[in-house]
Amino acid sequence: MGGRWTWRLAALPGVAWLSIFFLVALYAVVSVAFGNQDTLSQPVPFWNPLDWNVGYVLEALRNIWHGGPFLTAFLRTFEFVAIAMALSLAIGYPVAYYAARHAGRWKGLVLLLLIVPFWINYLMRMLAWINLLSPDGWGTRVLHDIGIERVFITLGLLSTRGGWLDGQQSTVLIALVYGYIPFLILPLFVALDRIDQRHLEAARDLGATPLSAFLRVTLPLSVPGILAGLVLVALPMFGDYYTPDLVCAAPKCNMIGNQIDQLTRQGSEKVTGAVLTIMLALLLLALMFYYLRTTRRAGTASAST
Amino acid sequence: MGHPKDRSELTRRQLLRGAAGAAVGIGAGGLLSGCENTTTPVGASGGGPAGKAGQLVVEKPLGPGGLPLPRPDNAVTWAITDSNQPISEGRPTERGPLKVYNYADYVDPAMVKKFQQEFHTSVQIATYNSADEAIAKLAAGAVAFDVIIGLTGSNIVNLIAQRLLQPLNHAYLPNLAQNIWPQLQDPFYDRGSRYTVPYVVWNDGIGWRNDVIKTDIAAMDVPWEIFWHSKPYRGRVGVLDDKRDALSMPMQRVAMHKGIAPDLNTEDRGLIDSAERELSQLNGICNVKVTITDYQTLPEGKTVLHHSWSGDLLSGAFYYMPKGVKPDVLSYWGPPSNGVVQNDFLCIGRASKSPVLAHRFLNFLLDEKNAYSNFVDFVGYTPPQKAIDAPALVKRGLIPKSLSDAVVRPDQFAANQELLQLSVEGERLWDDAWSRFKAG
Repeated sequence: MGGRWTWRLAALPGVAWLSIFFLVALYAVVSVAFGNQDTLSQPVPFWNPLDWNVGYVLEALRNIWHGGPFLTAFLRTFEFVAIAMALSLAIGYPVAYYAARHAGRWKGLVLLLLIVPFWINYLMRMLAWINLLSPDGWGTRVLHDIGIERVFITLGLLSTRGGWLDGQQSTVLIALVYGYIPFLILPLFVALDRIDQRHLEAARDLGATPLSAFLRVTLPLSVPGILAGLVLVALPMFGDYYTPDLVCAAPKCNMIGNQIDQLTRQGSEKVTGAVLTIMLALLLLALMFYYLRTTRRAGTASAST
Repeated sequence: MGHPKDRSELTRRQLLRGAAGAAVGIGAGGLLSGCENTTTPVGASGGGPAGKAGQLVVEKPLGPGGLPLPRPDNAVTWAITDSNQPISEGRPTERGPLKVYNYADYVDPAMVKKFQQEFHTSVQIATYNSADEAIAKLAAGAVAFDVIIGLTGSNIVNLIAQRLLQPLNHAYLPNLAQNIWPQLQDPFYDRGSRYTVPYVVWNDGIGWRNDVIKTDIAAMDVPWEIFWHSKPYRGRVGVLDDKRDALSMPMQRVAMHKGIAPDLNTEDRGLIDSAERELSQLNGICNVKVTITDYQTLPEGKTVLHHSWSGDLLSGAFYYMPKGVKPDVLSYWGPPSNGVVQNDFLCIGRASKSPVLAHRFLNFLLDEKNAYSNFVDFVGYTPPQKAIDAPALVKRGLIPKSLSDAVVRPDQFAANQELLQLSVEGERLWDDAWSRFKAG
């Protein structure tokens, strides 16, 4: 009994912290979204749910329904995030697989190298890329020399040689993948590392080729890791606005995060900014629940075996 | 409309305001009535000033507490109340420290040092990133600032309504009458400079790299036309990331073609929407970027043509030229009339603990020599000093001839328009158009 109370007390600071800095802040955003604005276009939050005004929410929904700029931004965000997720998985899976299975005594070093980018602030890394990708930058030269630039131009993903910063969507995608891929690799590495080798040995004993052993044992067992990784990269990507800002800045790279940034900081429409924030949060919440459900199911499944 | 220094935390020395994004599409709010618990958003109910084309000045909306929003045709004299009197004459100067609230990198540290030595005091500077942030923090009253730098005529109603400023005693400010352009000694937003004194002025123009673009843009009949002929520079062309500044640019272009004066504070939906359509053409023509980092990208050659604030070209020339590139590769043109000009001001916080020292600081910054050094050694934005003019600066080799237009002249200031706060409904029309442009 006493032990239980000790733990409850120990959890108190964390709970208080979350309540103040997360729940109260979130409630403030909700109150602004369901509030109104004064004659100087400043938001007037309605704190009492009984007073809530749904006018701004309906207007945002109507904008989306009628194919307005919010829909354009939401669709573009989905497109960018989907492509970036697919690319991250295609690049990240082999890396995680190698680190978990074949790195041997270099495993620690490989892991360290994967974590190193975290030591540098995301923004700093993006600012570095601006210099690397400028027409005479090292990155541009390397991409040219190893032929990637030509591939991009052939595929119509880049309009001119060395034009990575000329407002290209492909540059935003590359930057998103680069920026968030460690979030995918690390959980995937853990999932792959945890797979019991004996399952694979059993598969091989029963006559499976390496490929079918991978497809029928390793891949299914790593699904929770894949999902965890994908959710972890998708969450920040959905809210990102500074990556398109820094490496593109053209309207065709505009994501929903940019809309919110614009509305809350520059525009006179802070209430609508709050509405979009809530919409995005609900979307991410759904994604999070899906993730929790799948991991819990996977957890019970592995516990029952 | 936005202050050039309104920037978020994204860039290196100065800060980049998060570009891209958009505002809201607001339809006819009338549709919403009828739903229970649905309040029609302010200003969304049809009617209003829309449709009054050609009107030179918008209707005058009221600010908080029913105070008027100042307009050139509706200049405002702010009352001095019994409970908030200016300090009396002849008081001794306090020892400080002087607490200053300012944008980052918006006053020359050498000037601050000089002031400290002259008045045997210390100056503590706190910074803000946007006017909204500044006013919110001033209103919260956590810190009693003595001097606030960088707010504009659009903020003054808020400052007065929330009683954040103390009136000035001009006996401590002889440099105001002596050095400052007469028109800014008595601005429409604060007749008689009762609460504020001007700091710097700027205009909206075109910055370009004359080593890449051989067209003499300044000599064109309609210089703004260059943006619609910028296909050769695709990907290296930018417009200001500010709804009012950016959308007023195509408005100026059309008016220049027709030889008429535009109303850059219009609330006419037709004019605003057609400006948006014209601006959106630039997406196809040059894949236009929407940024306020031109002070850096033009010197570095990452952009070669940019819709710019005058001061950014000069600070670019002062600080951001890469090794081996001379500042005379930068050119600037600002419209002689019917374009955009803005100014900001210095003021004293109501709760100032060193009001005499604060007056001394204001007067110090209005001093001809100090204003001059602050301008050419650091800020790059023109102080409205009678004695400062571009030819003299060019002659002394301080700025290249190609940038002489970036020094705003008093006649130019008078013949251009300020972007002013609109009614809520008007703001929404601009936001709506901006949103469509930014969504691409």
